[in-house]
Amino acid sequence: MNPDSIEPFVSATLSVFSKMLSLELAPQAPLVRSSRSPHYDVTGMVGLTGKTTGIVALSLPQDFALTITERLIAEHRTEIDADVVDAIGELTNMIAGAAKARLESLQLSLGLPTVIIGRDSRIAYPSRCTPVSLPFASPLGPLLVEVGILL
Amino acid sequence: MTRVLVADDSGTMRTIICRWLEAIGMKCTVQAPNGQIAIDLFKTGGFDLVLTDWNMPGKSGLEVAREIRALDKQVPIVMITTEAEKAHVVEAIEAGVTDYLVKPFTTEMLVNKLYRFALDP
Repeated sequence: MNPDSIEPFVSATLSVFSKMLSLELAPQAPLVRSSRSPHYDVTGMVGLTGKTTGIVALSLPQDFALTITERLIAEHRTEIDADVVDAIGELTNMIAGAAKARLESLQLSLGLPTVIIGRDSRIAYPSRCTPVSLPFASPLGPLLVEVGILL
Repeated sequence: MTRVLVADDSGTMRTIICRWLEAIGMKCTVQAPNGQIAIDLFKTGGFDLVLTDWNMPGKSGLEVAREIRALDKQVPIVMITTEAEKAHVVEAIEAGVTDYLVKPFTTEMLVNKLYRFALDP
């Protein structure tokens, strides 16, 4: 993926966290991970299909995911439950959707979000693509957005 | 009080929307987790405003808008969605959507968009 293709996902992530959570993220240098396992404890994924295909993933440490959910639904959470899964799925959906709008020429459609709990599984990105990892820092903790799209 | 039907497959999003609807004096009467339930509930009557997501399991928000508009020419329908492309906005308006709000949104964006549909603002 070239920098022009990555930028919409960086902008989308900044926008989603700023607007929905009043949380300003600091983008870090993009990297390529050798592992296909989720980077943190809770990982939302949304598939993209159209003139190309791929997956956008949002991965966060458990405590960060709990705090985000509390902020969104205004209810305290101490463990991963259906509300946390739903909240992380929805944020992932918004990141993918906002980036998609910037990649209009690809005529992409979003799948419904799914969420992985734990790091023992493997994300099945399209076989011929190398996912790019976009780390972000924040006052509440780190997160990683990973984009694996055939471009 | 404005009675609102909210259709979104995300419980998080329904909670956020309903919290702010109530803050501006609207009543979040029913929350529907998918399009078909939204249409079935609308048929029971009594709604002053419909808010719907686009991408939902089963019937999409676009189908919800078309079917509700066929039943009721007057009720405002607001699409709240990640689908931000102009072509989607046009498609939604043609389906009978009254207004459109793109996710992500700030609280101010949501309140400003919905306040004008309140019966007693």
